[in-house]
Amino acid sequence: MMSVDGLIVALRAQGYEADRATATSVYLSLALERPLLLEGEPGVGKTELAKALAKVLGRSLLRLQCYDGLELRDALYEWNYAAQMLHLRAAGIQDGQPNSVPSLEQEVYQSKYLIRRPLLQALEAPAPGAVLLIDEVDRADEPFEAFLLEYLGEYQVSIPELGTIKASNKPVTILTSNRTRDLNDAVKRRCLFHWMDYPDRERELSILRSQVPQASEALSEQVSRIVNKLRSAPFADAFSRSPGIAESVEWARALVALNTLVVDPEVIGDTAGILFKQREDVAQLLPMSHALLSQDE
Amino acid sequence: MQLGDARVGKWPVNLLGFARALRRSGVPMDSAKIALSVQAALAIGLEHKADLKAALACVLINRLEDRAVFHELFDAYFKDPQVANQLLAQMLPTAQGEAVPNKRKPRVNEALTPKRAQDTLKSSDSSKKDQEFELDAAMTASDMARLRQSDFGALGAEEFKLVQRLAMQIPMVLPTYATRRQRASRVGRGLNWPRTFRQALKTEGEFLDLPKRGPQRQALPLMIIVDISGSMERYARLLLAFLHQASSQYTKREVMVFGTELTRLTAIFQRVDPDDMLEGVNETVKDFGAGTLLGRSLNAIKVRYPRALVAKRSIVLLITDGLDTGDSQELEESLQWLKRHCKTLCWLNPLLRFEAYQPLAKGASLLDRYADAKIAIHNLTHLEQLAKALARVVSSKRE
Repeated sequence: MMSVDGLIVALRAQGYEADRATATSVYLSLALERPLLLEGEPGVGKTELAKALAKVLGRSLLRLQCYDGLELRDALYEWNYAAQMLHLRAAGIQDGQPNSVPSLEQEVYQSKYLIRRPLLQALEAPAPGAVLLIDEVDRADEPFEAFLLEYLGEYQVSIPELGTIKASNKPVTILTSNRTRDLNDAVKRRCLFHWMDYPDRERELSILRSQVPQASEALSEQVSRIVNKLRSAPFADAFSRSPGIAESVEWARALVALNTLVVDPEVIGDTAGILFKQREDVAQLLPMSHALLSQDE
Repeated sequence: MQLGDARVGKWPVNLLGFARALRRSGVPMDSAKIALSVQAALAIGLEHKADLKAALACVLINRLEDRAVFHELFDAYFKDPQVANQLLAQMLPTAQGEAVPNKRKPRVNEALTPKRAQDTLKSSDSSKKDQEFELDAAMTASDMARLRQSDFGALGAEEFKLVQRLAMQIPMVLPTYATRRQRASRVGRGLNWPRTFRQALKTEGEFLDLPKRGPQRQALPLMIIVDISGSMERYARLLLAFLHQASSQYTKREVMVFGTELTRLTAIFQRVDPDDMLEGVNETVKDFGAGTLLGRSLNAIKVRYPRALVAKRSIVLLITDGLDTGDSQELEESLQWLKRHCKTLCWLNPLLRFEAYQPLAKGASLLDRYADAKIAIHNLTHLEQLAKALARVVSSKRE
């Protein structure tokens, strides 16, 4: 099993710059075989981490996007009712005489008529297993969390018609949350916890270098400096949401597309909509452009 | 941190001490976590302090609020092997500890001081259960002097635990109103037509399940106006910390404090850690412990923050003893304005002077007349009483 340093290098090879604390928590999650709960502001790279990790480990990525009202049928499994009905009708037409009911039932509830959703797919994934990403688990409701608790504890489910299905290769589970509400304590206790912060200037710079290689060094440096300023006091208080990593990468790409050499207030005004998605925030940004561009830290 | 081979054998015991220190500072901790942290420490290896810190943070804390405390405690605990030794020694019955330098949060300091020394300082009954704590009315002179200098100092560990416990056990439940939107609900009265049909599509038109829809309810917006003038100065700190914790789940919350002038603390109350919040209050509030000008302050809301009251739907919680020294005409006009623009005006009088209290003072009598819900408690010596009173007054006008 690779070390923390090896993990950082491997993630970097997949285009993901992880800081040491994040890599440590991922390493622990793999070593102790526990699910990892990632919390952080939106746009900080939680989902990207799961994707990069799947590539590094050579496992398939299974993604379950949670929302309010998510039911087990969407998360776990569902019977393909239409196909089952077709089978019954076909069985009736074919022989002309009705088959016995028990054997028909057995045919109808076969594994091939089972639609497998991400959680079940994760259990049945062939070696070496899968990486299961449960995205925005804070948007799901309490009954779903209760079910997850059981699932995460034993990695098995029971389907009444087919029996118990146990994981042959335990999936690497990553849960992400945007902190819109507090998760159930029991779920939190089962997982390792890591809070992902916005990156500091150097890490942001290396992310920009790898994601936007066409940008000049000076431009990347300027972008990372400005975005970092926007995220820290006193500028951060004026905005409802700070720009995330995705926004800064998009901004760098936009500046390259506009053939910008150096950022000036006019360019900031033109491209403000990439950094902030709220009208009030964009309005707040424009008067601050001069203060942002000044060289002092 | 370089741990020589001889120390590795003592490692689980070190870690146990650290985890217990975390528990004393208010971070929830159980033995399963401690066991897992030992495994984690061995998996990560003990060579690099930063890695170890990240690994322990991963396992031992799972709330954002505890991160700051964890980092400070880790740095303090593992900086100096002597400190570690002393903390180890505390697990033996006859241990004494040294004082730790005072740059950290008080609850981290308290967690680092060995329990025996703490007990002798407090001279409390050792057979008392852990969670019981009563704020002593007769605060020491230094405490009062500190408060009078408008030092909203950070909370000690016991105060923090008390505030958290009260906020959890006696929740302030705001009334809700039904919005126009509906949402999927298991117990709604209407049928969730889109979902019903979508599910029926999968079962060839057979309605096997009838999902329902109910009204979406939302908490009413809350505005808290706290008096921090002379008579309230002793209690302001804990009161603000308690309000911060008790109303943390409400996003539509405005907080103002007043003495001779009005200060808006909404942005500062967004901070997660109560110590950060108190520090922000310290920086922003200029008129702590001064006189009470209620009418002028309410007028300031009208002039400076008229939008703070949301669409005549806000619940205004006014915490003041009513001893106003300003113009009563101004007070009456601003109270009338406030009543017109809010749903309910709740007045919590935390300093009821005597049993047969008749609001004779001008300010208090006006408040008595205009407030929709009134509750008075004798004094703030028992924060628990305040918590219960708050919960009662806020929910007394439910829809």
